[in-house]
Amino acid sequence: MLKKELILQNPLRFMGHETDDILPEGGFGSVLARAGVGKTALLVQLALNNLLRSKNVLHISLDDPVKKVSLWYKEVFRHLTKSYDVKKINQLWEALLPHRFIMTFKVEGFSVPKLEERLTDLKEQNIFSPQIVFIDGFPFNETVRMPLSDFKDLAKNHSFHVWFTVRTRRHEKPGPDGMPAPLLDVVDLFDVVIQLQPEGKEIHVKTLKGGPADSEHTALLLDPSTMLITNNQKLA
Amino acid sequence: MNNAKMENATHKVRNIGISAHIDSGKTTLTERILFFTKRIHAIHDVKGKDGVGATMDSMELEKERGITIASAATYCEWLDHEINIIDTPGHVDFTIEVERSLRVLDGAILILCSVGGVQSQSITVDQQMKRYKVPCIAFINKCDRIGASPFRVIDQLKDKLGHNAVPMQIPVGLEADLKGVVDLVTMKAIYFDGVNGEDLRIEDIPQNLLSEAMERREELVDAASMFSDELTEAILEEQEVTEDMIIAAIRQGTLTCKMTPVFMGSAYKNKGVQPLLDAVINLLPCPSDVENEAIDMDNDSVPVILSSESGKPAVALAFKLEEGQYGQLSYIRVYQGSISKGDTIVNVRNGKKIKVGRVIRMHAEQMEDIETIQAGYIGALFGIDCASGDTFVAPGVNLTMTSIFVPDPVISLSIVPSDNKSQINMSKALSRFSKEDPTFRTYVDDETKETIIEGMGELHLEVYVERMRREYTAKVATGQPRVAYRETITRKAEFNYIHKKQTGGAGQFGRVAGYIEPVTDVDFVFENKVVGGKIPTRFIASCEKGFRQSMDKGPKMKFPVTGVKVVINDGASHSVDSSEMAFQTAARGAFREGYLKAKPVILEPIMKVVVETPTEFLGAVMGLLNQRRGTIVGSQEEGPLCVIEAQAPLSEMFGFSTVLRSSTQGKALFTMEFGSYKQVPQSVAEELVKKAEKKEKRVTF
Repeated sequence: MLKKELILQNPLRFMGHETDDILPEGGFGSVLARAGVGKTALLVQLALNNLLRSKNVLHISLDDPVKKVSLWYKEVFRHLTKSYDVKKINQLWEALLPHRFIMTFKVEGFSVPKLEERLTDLKEQNIFSPQIVFIDGFPFNETVRMPLSDFKDLAKNHSFHVWFTVRTRRHEKPGPDGMPAPLLDVVDLFDVVIQLQPEGKEIHVKTLKGGPADSEHTALLLDPSTMLITNNQKLA
Repeated sequence: MNNAKMENATHKVRNIGISAHIDSGKTTLTERILFFTKRIHAIHDVKGKDGVGATMDSMELEKERGITIASAATYCEWLDHEINIIDTPGHVDFTIEVERSLRVLDGAILILCSVGGVQSQSITVDQQMKRYKVPCIAFINKCDRIGASPFRVIDQLKDKLGHNAVPMQIPVGLEADLKGVVDLVTMKAIYFDGVNGEDLRIEDIPQNLLSEAMERREELVDAASMFSDELTEAILEEQEVTEDMIIAAIRQGTLTCKMTPVFMGSAYKNKGVQPLLDAVINLLPCPSDVENEAIDMDNDSVPVILSSESGKPAVALAFKLEEGQYGQLSYIRVYQGSISKGDTIVNVRNGKKIKVGRVIRMHAEQMEDIETIQAGYIGALFGIDCASGDTFVAPGVNLTMTSIFVPDPVISLSIVPSDNKSQINMSKALSRFSKEDPTFRTYVDDETKETIIEGMGELHLEVYVERMRREYTAKVATGQPRVAYRETITRKAEFNYIHKKQTGGAGQFGRVAGYIEPVTDVDFVFENKVVGGKIPTRFIASCEKGFRQSMDKGPKMKFPVTGVKVVINDGASHSVDSSEMAFQTAARGAFREGYLKAKPVILEPIMKVVVETPTEFLGAVMGLLNQRRGTIVGSQEEGPLCVIEAQAPLSEMFGFSTVLRSSTQGKALFTMEFGSYKQVPQSVAEELVKKAEKKEKRVTF
């Protein structure tokens, strides 16, 4: 079955996690990288993997309009399924859509209470109840601890876990353990931290926190042409 | 208009459209443009402006006044240049008509209301222009109104529409105090004197505006310098920055759709119209600035770039038809070569050769006979039978300006004329509308004998029914709108059908075997894999015909069938009893046999729905969409407003505008366009089957 085959290709499995649900309820995961390296692409791959397993995904974007986010999903899905039969792909795509909800906000207009209000609206009317939330473009600045803690409470109350993208900057120095600057003060709130690191023409996927014990699986690359995760046997 | 002038002067031609949100003043601005270019000699006000049905307002107005403000292409002159103002349809339903008008334009004026700003309809209009890469300049109208805030609108242009909007002017006074504008290129204040603002008074910038003007000019020059090395160099080397340099740079930015120069004023109060006309000449493209493509029908539909050089074979597009006193007037734009009186041209759609009779050009009030229409120009042909969207070419050329693909209608409506006169007028109207717009179709239902009209959405049909009433005084009653369902199959199934009849007279015999399977993107594919003459070659076409006939009414629910591939690989014939008719019947039987085994399903049109609502009603609107089997794709918050994108079945969207209005105190707006066909859920399919059975019973009793 197409669905099963696609699930088997999911990026977290490549990273060596036994199950895909590596985050507990209220748990946080993050994808870190500099601008333009492929954070959103990886996030969308993670989201698609959850959609394939019929989980309800809420994608929140603080930068891009709904159309652009939809396009990301279509593109990544197209790359994932390009070797399969078109008719089956279309059917599968139609089946995934009801499990996805996109919300976009202006960065300055976004707040945890506002999101809670929206979620309550959706849940009360039985429109949508997320099991996993992906948030792209959340500002990790000096005052991020408070909203993140509120977010964690919200996630626990509504029984979902959250993946964030975190933008790093070249000039910011990482902490002594190699943790990039934006997460230094809040790393305790995160269960998994994945970094995308461009080295030459390749983009390496490194687990900085919460990686599997088995280190054989850690040599992963992001294919720059499709932005999909590939298992790099040479490096393994 | 003489031909010598027409030749070699395409740089002095502007083919523009005026795109606007309802009630932002399109009619008034067009009227003022015609007045200042001396096409009309008096200014009248738009009457009964209530914001509803403004398209109709302008048509009514035209009738009352006997001029053609919104005629397909109105010609006027400004600063020794020729401007063709092409009507862009006012309604937002996506139809081929919109696509076609946008193809004919080289540039556009986007009008925005300085109070209302960018609203959902402006977004739709803007998206259409972006889709066709139409360069535009913006005009912020109604700066005399209370609450006018042109710079807020400029911010919205940037944020909501993603334009690189740069003010070219600042207002001198606002609201009731609006006196004129400051031109940031010439750095002069312009006032509009005289009864109708026809006398321009140019003065120094008032002291209180000087520092703001300097600041804005610097921003303007900065933005313009992105498009000109000459200007950048002059700034860096602190040389004199000339007006010509700035204009040339802004023009470059505008032509590449990377910059939107913004002008402002009040058309109603006659302020700011003349500088806007100057901008049309200075900043919008002439026909040779724009690259136009045609599709080569002889060469696998490869796009071909058309050239305006003289001597090339003619290629022209009929973009609008008008029923005049003396017959049909077909507006055309010539893209390559020229079309002259007495020429022979070919209609690419049907291959018919046509002799060009009268060639004319429209002025606001009258038409003028001319000899030739050159590439880049717009004119009209008299007495030529064609449909809107047809391409005319010189004999020997096989290029088309429009793709052959026309989406199938998704909704239908029965219409009944109230009396004999209405019946005649209705027929006239229907024949014209279906020629104008290939997505609008009409037929008489065999069973009920009712006239049915079909189109792309509820509003699409409403507009035509309204036009029938107003323009053709046809009194018609309409029935309930009906959704155009389709049927298709979901898996491969085999058939092996024998048609045999021997009841006196000549017998009939034919056996057809093979399989049917689902196929995407096309309605019907037929493949013949019969070998060894089991079905004689002369009957293969009859088999195909039989299968094709079966596609019109599906065996499941009698809806048209789509997405079926038929392969025949075996069969049998009889030397005496086999005939074309026998094989057609056998094919129909074979289709039915295979079809019912191939898990047929019903498909319904799914619409893309976009609702813009104040945030406080977000939950309520999402609830409404959810109740209508809508899938909400997402919600987008933009300050106090929120845009919801959803997909919903057309059958559930009837009357949505009324419900939306009452649930949001009239503050939400929505647009809807056809998206795709999707399988109906089982429960709905059962409901449809029940309804059909009931209807059948009623017919039987």
